[in-house]
Amino acid sequence: MSIGEKANTHKEYSNERNQWIGKRIARIDGPEKVTGELKYMTDENYSNMVWGKVLRAEYPHAKIKNIETEKAESLPGVICVLTYKDIPGFNGFGIVTPDQPVLCEDVVRCTADAVALVAAETSEIADEAINLIHVDYEPLKVVTDAEYAMTGEAPYLHPDGNIHSHVKINNGDVDQAFKHADYIFENTYYSPRQMHAFIETEGGWGLVEEDGTLKIQCPGQYAYRDRLQISRTLGINPERIHVISSPNGGGFGGKDEITVQIYLALLALHTEGRPVKIHLTREESVQAGMKRHPFKVQVKTAANKDGVITANQVRAVADTGAFASLGPAVISLAVEHACGPYKIPNVDIEGFCVYTNNGIAGAFRGFGVNQVCVGIETHIDMIAEQINMDPIEIRKKNVYHQGEKSSVGHIVKSSVGTHETLEKAQNCELWTNQNIYKSQPSEPWKKRGVAVSTSFHAVGMGLDKPDYGAASIELLHDGRLKVAVGPEEIGTGNGTVYAQVCAELLHCDMADISVVQGDTSETLDSGTISASRSTYTGSRAIATTAPLMIELLTGTASEMLNIPAKDIDVEDCNVIHKKDHSILLSFTELYDYLSINKTSTKVNSQFYLPKEKEAIKGSGGAPHHIYGYQTNVVMVEVDTLTGETDVLRVVSIPDCGRVMNLQGLEGQTEGGAIMGIGYTLYEDVIIEEGYHKTSNLGDYIIPTIRETPEIETIPVEAPEPSNPFGAKGIGEVVMIPIIPAIMSAIYDATGARVKHLPATPERIFNAMKSTTSSVPMSSR
Amino acid sequence: MIKTSEMQVVSPKSLDECLYLLNDQEKNNRLIAGGTDAVVRMKDKKWTPDIWINIKGMNELRYIRKDPSGIHVGPLTTHTDIVKSKLLQDKADVLTFAAKEVGATQMQNMGTLGGNIGNASPTGDTIPALYVLDARIELSSLYGTRTVPIEEFFIGPGKTVIQTDEIITDIIIRPQDTSEIGIFEKLGPRKAQSISIVNFAASINLDKEGHHCSSGRLAFGSVGPTIIRAKKCESMLTLDRFDKSLTHNISKVAWKEVAPISDARASSNYRRDMASALLERGLLRLMKRWENK
Repeated sequence: MSIGEKANTHKEYSNERNQWIGKRIARIDGPEKVTGELKYMTDENYSNMVWGKVLRAEYPHAKIKNIETEKAESLPGVICVLTYKDIPGFNGFGIVTPDQPVLCEDVVRCTADAVALVAAETSEIADEAINLIHVDYEPLKVVTDAEYAMTGEAPYLHPDGNIHSHVKINNGDVDQAFKHADYIFENTYYSPRQMHAFIETEGGWGLVEEDGTLKIQCPGQYAYRDRLQISRTLGINPERIHVISSPNGGGFGGKDEITVQIYLALLALHTEGRPVKIHLTREESVQAGMKRHPFKVQVKTAANKDGVITANQVRAVADTGAFASLGPAVISLAVEHACGPYKIPNVDIEGFCVYTNNGIAGAFRGFGVNQVCVGIETHIDMIAEQINMDPIEIRKKNVYHQGEKSSVGHIVKSSVGTHETLEKAQNCELWTNQNIYKSQPSEPWKKRGVAVSTSFHAVGMGLDKPDYGAASIELLHDGRLKVAVGPEEIGTGNGTVYAQVCAELLHCDMADISVVQGDTSETLDSGTISASRSTYTGSRAIATTAPLMIELLTGTASEMLNIPAKDIDVEDCNVIHKKDHSILLSFTELYDYLSINKTSTKVNSQFYLPKEKEAIKGSGGAPHHIYGYQTNVVMVEVDTLTGETDVLRVVSIPDCGRVMNLQGLEGQTEGGAIMGIGYTLYEDVIIEEGYHKTSNLGDYIIPTIRETPEIETIPVEAPEPSNPFGAKGIGEVVMIPIIPAIMSAIYDATGARVKHLPATPERIFNAMKSTTSSVPMSSR
Repeated sequence: MIKTSEMQVVSPKSLDECLYLLNDQEKNNRLIAGGTDAVVRMKDKKWTPDIWINIKGMNELRYIRKDPSGIHVGPLTTHTDIVKSKLLQDKADVLTFAAKEVGATQMQNMGTLGGNIGNASPTGDTIPALYVLDARIELSSLYGTRTVPIEEFFIGPGKTVIQTDEIITDIIIRPQDTSEIGIFEKLGPRKAQSISIVNFAASINLDKEGHHCSSGRLAFGSVGPTIIRAKKCESMLTLDRFDKSLTHNISKVAWKEVAPISDARASSNYRRDMASALLERGLLRLMKRWENK
């Protein structure tokens, strides 16, 4: 039996008798985060430290003619100045295609590009040295627009042209369907360049230790892949690099790619054993950090009078900025999800991942689905209005159920909770009483609207990428247990789930479990913290490992006491007799026995995530095997005098399979709702002619507590058969359907549709103005 | 340019000591009070004095009191002090409303009224309120004291009549009549911690029933290089019965009184529309408050 098959034979875990799983459990890292006691890695300082800084490109697109570093090098207090010449190995990184230079040699393609590195005694000297580096540039034509980049007119930013990837999914015959349709809706939607805006900007530490090991402590989302990318640039064996990547002051996908790890590694080679720190200022983070891909999405949807959607055609163009990073994967996921969780028989979807000089775009919570869900969801509402059908009924009519064929043409075998989330939406208090609420605006010139939307998001990697999980459990000298799982703590609370699972399966208190995440010397390669995969992956990895620990404990006790192992169980960090539950030995006694006999107290195991067997050709990784589903109901209030819009209430109805931790789930649904509100109403990094017009959190508007509405969570549990606890994933889908829901609620309130996000007061005001009838006051 | 680590900070213990320091024109110095603007400018390398004169602890300039010449607000009075002042709530309500809209609580705790005036941002939230309260700004130097009406105080964005050796030592405002009621309206990109796209302050005299307005002052911020008193609109206040339809008619004129620019936060067209919108919304809310009074 292969590892994968063995793991798949888990019987479903019964939730009723659980002590920890499925309960409302406070975060194990909650108190230290709330009090500020927890130090992020970038909060640390050491007496013998040195400061690292990065020189970024002055132009969004230019030839480098010469780099002059002597003045900087001779500044007192400067330890080293490094350029591309100082790179021992491969000068490039990038998860999908390593097309981003670590340090630019002949050309810069965006203002995020790094040209040189400095290490100095103080932060101020490092800044001064950066200013003393003279780079001779020859500015080149700037490619500012993705559609323009695709034309023959635009200069090539990379040797193979500006279209990095072009993916398609075709199913049925859209032309015939459009010909015979009763109604056709066609619109173009624009989405913002959202910033992760994590509390901890990119940064970390590099150090060459006495034994020659290179230690990189840098918040990340996949320590093993960071290590690989570092080793490639340094030309050294990954085994010589120790990466610590957890905890993070927020990730959201923005630390999935290399941030500063390679800069730290290069500098550490020149600081003679002193630790070097880089910590981006917020301004540098805005300029150099990854962003969400802005999309232009053209959508054409056909439906019949009875509300059946017969065809959907989508063309999505994603601006990936100067480098690919995860762009091609983002556009592939967008194409896979562009028709929603529906069974539309005729679809024609294509997506382009296009290079421009607009910074860099990469992974971000939702991974392309946020941008494309807007088209299909808005059109479904338009159809419902046209045929006078309830917006929930029309969705129920078109969604696929488990075992049915999706719009992209595959039979969905994993759990599907969409229909049930829609039923819960239909029965929720906000939906049933919507007319009462809508008739009570807080001031006479304000209008309220209520709307619903539904969407989905894949869990795990696509078909063409390896996807596996691993965990280790170790018996400690004090009789407690240490569980080590790769996926980092990036704010999601996955570590709490890991402690819950371990305590549940080893029948002990959660306080007896310590959790280690994101450390190449402690955790096995278990894949990324991304793709909504870490609850599914970690819980299953621990479930495959826990029986081995029980085997070790009961086997050892059996050997020590000469009682058959089958009569022994574990409970509260003791081995007990199954018959009378009497304590036979404590875990500390077992530990002492094992260590005297020089036997390892650590067990580990791994498994492969389930995958579809057949790929959709040309789709770049579709279909996925598992999806999480989500429906949102929202109420907004629009000030018709100004266009200001408040989201007053949110009902979040996720299907994440079995709920592992209700409090953790609410953390996700609430955080996702707020991030979705920010995406829809406020957030955008403005870039003009390749230069960032947005510079800091003063002009990048994220929601505050005053923009945070009442958020209610109503979970639907459609258990996923391939996870021992029935869990799926929820980290991303929680921020997706709220986007079109807010847009439709604005329409419900005012009759105005905003198709260019964010829907700022000015855009909403102008949309209301152009519908005229809805604006009580038109001043001019 | 001087390095941040080489800058000095001196903290005068009295106004006299502060005036003496300011008088030393050999030194490149600058005042810092709450620091909510100064620290940001320093970080951006826009303000790089050799010496910061830290006046935050100079409590003699932190007061709110009334005498026959008006209400005196010390320049080091924080926005929070203003929000909490019973005297101002009663006799200068519009200023308390405006102070409450500045940044967020932390900024209100640190930021001072004198700083908001001295910084002279066209978006400064307290300034339109000071316009409708006919504020006069007292400036002192080692050589004497002068008082400047607020309408003559600002020259342009970030520019005032303050000389390099002068400091704001008093802000004198007109107490509102018992028949007078004020309102402050702010449109920002979000509710908290935002810089105004347009703001608007009004203080109006009404008869007991609220049916007629005998006089009123209206001022807009962020729609021109300095605050704009909307005099045409003011003259319309008394033309007819003070009701919904009058405010709507006044609002239709408001956009003509302003001269906004387009920037990253909003277009000039939207700002014009919003001058009208805030005026209408403000007066409607003011009527509601009068009814409930």
